[in-house]
Amino acid sequence: MSLSECPSSNHLLTSKTEAVLVLSSEGEIRQVSPALTRLLSQPADTLLGRYLTDVLPPAEEERVRPLVARAAAGEVVCYQGLLPGPPQLSECQVALLPLLTDNRIAGVYALVCSRGGGLRPADQALLVREQQLSVIFDSITDITFVLDVEPEGRYRFTFANRAFQKTTGLRLEKVIGSYVHDIIPEPSLSLVLRKYEKAVRTCQPVIWQETSDYPTGQLTGEVTITPVLDEAGECRQLVGIVHDLTRQKKIEEDLRLSNERFQYAIKATTDALYDWDVAADTLYWGEGYEMLFGYGPQENPEPFSQWAEHVLPAEKQRVVGGLRYMAYETTDWHWQEEYRFRRADGSWAWVYDRGYILRDEHGRPVRMIGAMQDISERREAQERQRLMSERLFRQNSDLQQFTYIVSHNLRAPLANALGFADLLARVAPGSDVFTTSLQNLHTSLRQLDGVLTDVNTVLSVRDQQGGYRAEPVALAAVCGQALQGVLPLLKACGGELRYEIPEDLRLPGKRAYFHSIFHNLVSNAIKYRSDERPLLIEVEATTDADGATTIRVRDNGRGFDLAAAGDAVFQLYQRFHSDKKGRGIGLFLVKTHVESMGGRVSVESREGAGTQFMLYFSSHGHENVPD
Amino acid sequence: MGMKTYLIDDDQLAVYLTEQLLRAEDFSNSIHTFGSAREALNTLLGEGQEAAPQVVFLDLNMPLMNGWQFLDALHPYKAHLLGRCFIYILTSSLALADLEKSRQYDLVAGLIHKPIDSGEIRAIQSRLLPGPGPAALWA
Repeated sequence: MSLSECPSSNHLLTSKTEAVLVLSSEGEIRQVSPALTRLLSQPADTLLGRYLTDVLPPAEEERVRPLVARAAAGEVVCYQGLLPGPPQLSECQVALLPLLTDNRIAGVYALVCSRGGGLRPADQALLVREQQLSVIFDSITDITFVLDVEPEGRYRFTFANRAFQKTTGLRLEKVIGSYVHDIIPEPSLSLVLRKYEKAVRTCQPVIWQETSDYPTGQLTGEVTITPVLDEAGECRQLVGIVHDLTRQKKIEEDLRLSNERFQYAIKATTDALYDWDVAADTLYWGEGYEMLFGYGPQENPEPFSQWAEHVLPAEKQRVVGGLRYMAYETTDWHWQEEYRFRRADGSWAWVYDRGYILRDEHGRPVRMIGAMQDISERREAQERQRLMSERLFRQNSDLQQFTYIVSHNLRAPLANALGFADLLARVAPGSDVFTTSLQNLHTSLRQLDGVLTDVNTVLSVRDQQGGYRAEPVALAAVCGQALQGVLPLLKACGGELRYEIPEDLRLPGKRAYFHSIFHNLVSNAIKYRSDERPLLIEVEATTDADGATTIRVRDNGRGFDLAAAGDAVFQLYQRFHSDKKGRGIGLFLVKTHVESMGGRVSVESREGAGTQFMLYFSSHGHENVPD
Repeated sequence: MGMKTYLIDDDQLAVYLTEQLLRAEDFSNSIHTFGSAREALNTLLGEGQEAAPQVVFLDLNMPLMNGWQFLDALHPYKAHLLGRCFIYILTSSLALADLEKSRQYDLVAGLIHKPIDSGEIRAIQSRLLPGPGPAALWA
């Protein structure tokens, strides 16, 4: 096909009004329109075969040559230039457009608009529009291209903007004029050809997303193909716009990955994650909730009140009330609490709960995202540690007390013995003082021996605790046996003893300890009886609803001043009656035995009225005693 | 020797021993013994000012009222007793804490570990009995 046959330019070239010329890619003038010959005042045959730059004024030559080359490379170029006379140089506006013939740029199409006389509004409007379109197409970031629809399902690029080159990395000179099947690689090619065919057949826009590999990398785009119809309703051209979705796809992919990681994190964590929708007042639970607390997936989200129901009633006000207060009445965003929470099986878990409150621009709560952590094991370990420290502390202070008391009580008879030995050397043998001193020396030495025996007893009690293992002890039987031993003393003073201990009551502990406890308490009651009334001793044991057992040993004896005695009641070698002999070891042993079995002992007494000892064993107190 | 002396100790053996040791040194022919601090306190406060003992030997470890409680009970009468009544703590305890604590009481003239020996008895005599002789120099 020759240039003169080019259908797109023919009507312009024959037009009497348009100043148009057709150049070869090198800038050689091939055709001119009549209006142009008039504009240049030169007949057409003197122009044909010359280079445009030769026809123009010399000053224009250097400037225009590269512009023509750019147009020949596929660009639309507009510039303001000069036209040669006669009669004189005049200003003009020139548009250089690539001229497509067959599958390549065959030349350049130049449209000239004189600034002088004979300016045609249509030319000017066309030029301005061209310029605007050029600017628009080159400045939009979406890939834009135009395809000519040719027979046998072939499509040729007739236009593509800079974004096309920038995005795909394909040079426009290579693209424009080329067939689609030479530019787009498989497998995309088959896809786009089907889509083009559909647009041509249906005369309707076709939209799809595709991912293709280009020199600049993999691109994902949304492609819109719009058919352009001619007067006959035939589809002659397709306009394509590709919106680059690569970034958006990347963000979506990142988001998907991030969500996936979050899902795995939820699976991996041992926490129960939740999302409190404040408006709906519902909680959406992560998988950990069922895993930790055993509540099956009945409904998710579930009403907020469901959760609140499982909080320990005694802590509900602090925890649930506190959370609602913080959410509604403050602008704080971080909430945390430790509380007890009922598991599905009815047992209680210690929970550490942390939440982040999301608020709207007015500070009102919208959601709270949080996590419940089961810290039961930690709490139990802490509790064991605390009990152990408490016990060690107690033992240590007992030990200090013991050391002090023993040294004191050991030294008292020793000091006497030393003194009497000294005195014996100084008084006359056979005198009263000598005889008495000798007796006293013996007495002092016996006392010394007694203290050493006590020390041995106390130490052996302590030693036995090391290998102590609890066994169920039938309390009534042990009490009965212990009382047998003190019965002669009781009869001798005319006292009476009543005891009410359920036959089936069994306490975890050690039989020998209970025996010693009953023996010491009853012996004490007999020893410190009142002379004013017959002695009555009552022993009873009761168990309350929680399984805690209290043993009471009560007498109507002389009693003592509890306030004056203070903490010293159960200490070694403390006595509260000056006229009755006693070593002050009995109550110390009672206390030691009770505590080694996880119990507590307390005393109430009133001078002249009587004394009551209370031994308290909680149902699980025993388990709390570390070995 | 008319130095009025109180001996307060719940340990009867110790009371007997101390009394004999004092007699052996001719410390006093006016020794009053008390088995409890309460009893001693009542006697001391019941008698007139002039009848207050010049020397008190006080045990610490006693039931109902121990030596410290006895001293605390005397506190209101401190002004009157200071310079007239010298209290010596006589204890079998070797605990340093007791010595420290005794220094807080102005009425306490000294702390002696049981058994009291003749040297300690003579030192007290020298300090309390006015008269010529080298003993007066360190009174």
